[in-house]
Amino acid sequence: MRDFIIRRLLYAIPTLVGISIITFLIARLSPGDPIRLFTFGIKDFTQEDYLRLLHAYGLDKPIPLQYVDWITNALRGSFGESLIYHRDAFAMLVERVPATLQLAVAALLLQLVIGVPLGVIAALKRGSWVDGAIRVFGVAGHAVPAFWLGLILIIVFAVQLRWLPSIGLLTVGHDQWDIPDRIRHIILPAFVLALTGIANYSRILRTETLDVLAQDFVRTAHAKGLHERTVVFVHALRNALIPVVTALGGILAALVGGALVIEQVFSWPGVGQFTFQAAIAKDYPIVQAGVMFTSTLLVVSYLVRDLAYAVVDPRIKVG
Amino acid sequence: MTHFRTTRTFFVVAAAALLVATACTPGPAASSPTPTPAESAKPQQGGKIIQGDISDIATIQPILSADTSSSRIINLIYDGIIQQDYKNGEPKAKMATYSISPDGLNYTFEINAKANWSDGKPVIAQDWLTGLKLVGKSQKTVRKSSFQDVQGFLDYCVGSSSSGCKGTAKEISGVKIDSANPKKFTVTLTKVSCPAIIDLNGYTLPTQVFGKYATDTSKDEIDTAPENTNPTVFSGPFKFSEWRKGDQIILNKNPDYWQGAPNVDQYVVKVVANQTAIANGLKTGELTYGSIQPKDLADMQTVDSVKITKYQNLGYTFISWNELAPTAPALADKRVRQALAYGLDMDQVIKAVVFGEATKQVAHHVPVQWAYPTSPLEPYKYDKAKAQQLLTDAGWVKGSDGILAKDGKKFTLTISTNSGNQERETLAQVAAEQYKQLGIDTKAAPEAFQGLVTKLTTGDPVIEANIIGWSLGGDVDPYQIWHSSQIPDRAKGTTGFGFTGFKDAAMDKAIEQGRNPTNGDCSTAARKAQYETFNKILNENQPYNFGYANNVLVGSQKTLQNFDPASFSQIWNVHTWWIKQ
Repeated sequence: MRDFIIRRLLYAIPTLVGISIITFLIARLSPGDPIRLFTFGIKDFTQEDYLRLLHAYGLDKPIPLQYVDWITNALRGSFGESLIYHRDAFAMLVERVPATLQLAVAALLLQLVIGVPLGVIAALKRGSWVDGAIRVFGVAGHAVPAFWLGLILIIVFAVQLRWLPSIGLLTVGHDQWDIPDRIRHIILPAFVLALTGIANYSRILRTETLDVLAQDFVRTAHAKGLHERTVVFVHALRNALIPVVTALGGILAALVGGALVIEQVFSWPGVGQFTFQAAIAKDYPIVQAGVMFTSTLLVVSYLVRDLAYAVVDPRIKVG
Repeated sequence: MTHFRTTRTFFVVAAAALLVATACTPGPAASSPTPTPAESAKPQQGGKIIQGDISDIATIQPILSADTSSSRIINLIYDGIIQQDYKNGEPKAKMATYSISPDGLNYTFEINAKANWSDGKPVIAQDWLTGLKLVGKSQKTVRKSSFQDVQGFLDYCVGSSSSGCKGTAKEISGVKIDSANPKKFTVTLTKVSCPAIIDLNGYTLPTQVFGKYATDTSKDEIDTAPENTNPTVFSGPFKFSEWRKGDQIILNKNPDYWQGAPNVDQYVVKVVANQTAIANGLKTGELTYGSIQPKDLADMQTVDSVKITKYQNLGYTFISWNELAPTAPALADKRVRQALAYGLDMDQVIKAVVFGEATKQVAHHVPVQWAYPTSPLEPYKYDKAKAQQLLTDAGWVKGSDGILAKDGKKFTLTISTNSGNQERETLAQVAAEQYKQLGIDTKAAPEAFQGLVTKLTTGDPVIEANIIGWSLGGDVDPYQIWHSSQIPDRAKGTTGFGFTGFKDAAMDKAIEQGRNPTNGDCSTAARKAQYETFNKILNENQPYNFGYANNVLVGSQKTLQNFDPASFSQIWNVHTWWIKQ
């Protein structure tokens, strides 16, 4: 197991280096100059001022040298100073990680808590109207654009019914540890973020459960006179869950990456929104830190998936 | 002063930033207008203001600020020594009274005796000097050039060898503090500069906090000072409490504010993703006030709890014509540019693009500025026949395909604008359609704002026409946009905002006399006379289709009293705001 982890981590190094080079080049070679952008129109700003700032941010060096500087510092844990905020880019990103993780974890829980039972119920009620309704929900969950659904839910539940808030993660003036208030704020964005996953899991679980229920060991369990609930939840479900675990690999990273739209709609102060705005502003250090953060999360989550896979299915050997 | 208005957050940034920091500050109670019925009621104490803003702040250090969101917070916690009138922008006293010597070179300020820092220490001249020294020390400020006319500043400041900063002096010789009165000081300029009074507002910062970054041995430590994001001592109506990054900025009332403690307990800026979220937040009551879009106006007017306030934006959206574009030589002809003004129904455009919430512009200064021309200008009312006649006079004749041509070359035109800005993209499309009706083969070309900015400021000839906006804050001086020295020159490697290539000797002279008058007369009347000439020349030559000046639409809860936002400041009287329970 230890060799497996070490090997996978070693494989990750060229992947991350490749990503860093691509991100760096895309950022630097795309049209526009960040200094020109954030000083545009500023009174009495001169060409000399421009050159001074270019030098101060190290942007007057050739691009390969800029990359070497950046990667060297990144290995020491410094992703550079934000051109806009004049603060350490990675530290600023880390400040936003809790908000995004909070949203991603809540969405993940909703996916499992709603998606898995729906799939099992659909399988057990195969052919019934319940099955049909869940399948329609599954298609709709994939088809509905997140930004549209988010706006509709805001109009219905925040503007019209006034049941839930529409903005951010905490009511202004409330304590940071006001958990009930946080839950009220997270319900709508987490549901929208989770919807595709709920649809996905219900579909996967339905198919897998039907498949497992038709296998010999389930018939044997029935023949032994085991209770239906025991057969389904102890014998069948554990096997049916294997593909779900596979799908879970990377899901957290995908949720973090996919939270961008949701963060925009619900004004959620997370990593996605922050990185997106930095990209528009050509704030290179933040963009690079953001991409490297998400990439690393993805690599690690795939590693965790492989390990979890082995735990769920002992037939799979790691190493 | 001037700067660009961009699509969003950050973009607004660049442009707006600077002015606002130096210009738009709250005003003294003495300058308040006649009280309205609401104002005459006894203010209730307590409650909080929650302002919705689509951008998080970047810093709380004024010398580093380059965006409007940061500038607003800075203006709430640090008072300036002067301010601009919130409605017409004329400079006037705030924390200090001021006088100017007859030769226009010496500015004497005396800080109000009641002005204290929140730690109880008096605000003194040294605090203003500390701010100026920090600008000189910083490597990342965008403000150094604003003080280059202060005697001795270039000897003091540190910068690249080409910036003029020598870093040889330990003091700034042009700033003299009255030895008998620590609240009084004089600033000497090297030449008469009418816009200087706005710049000389400077940055009055607590020496007891920031003085350590402005010592003889200091380098650029101020650029990364922890107090830049967590300030501790204040002179404004509010005190900084907490910055929850990307979410909210919380300010508490300053009970010792020299103009009187604010009525509300807190001022909170809630960061939201966009103006749709602001509209929703106003409806749900989560926000106290915020700017909304024209498209949401009709909907918001149906919300009983919300009041809409309109005022004219301090800027305008325009189409620039690049006279130097080799692929569109027609733009160098004044008759063609006039035809492009007559041939675009701007009144119709305003209805279609911004739902009627704008005023047509035909010259540079906008109606809310004191320099706005009062002599009659050509209004360029939509007149297709006149436009066609002007094009014919210029030698452009329609071919069999309906496209104008001259000397065998067809009249084609590409109008660039920043993609993602729906208003400007629509304007480009409408303009293209209407110019096609004149026989001009026109197309709209949205592209990323980041790239566009560089092309414009470096004079890239590929840009034929471009839609963008100016935010005009600070002084009315149009030098950086319209003086011929500001035309970018690729051969010389110079940059600037004169990307139309238009120049006129008489216009240059009017700009110079409005900025650095040879007779030293910086009175409003004398300068206005120069700007009448300046605007007249622009109006006749139409280097831009001057487009329109938008209305700013602000939604606020009806419980918010004394809220009186205007073009030069939304928060000028914030300490008198109160919440009706």
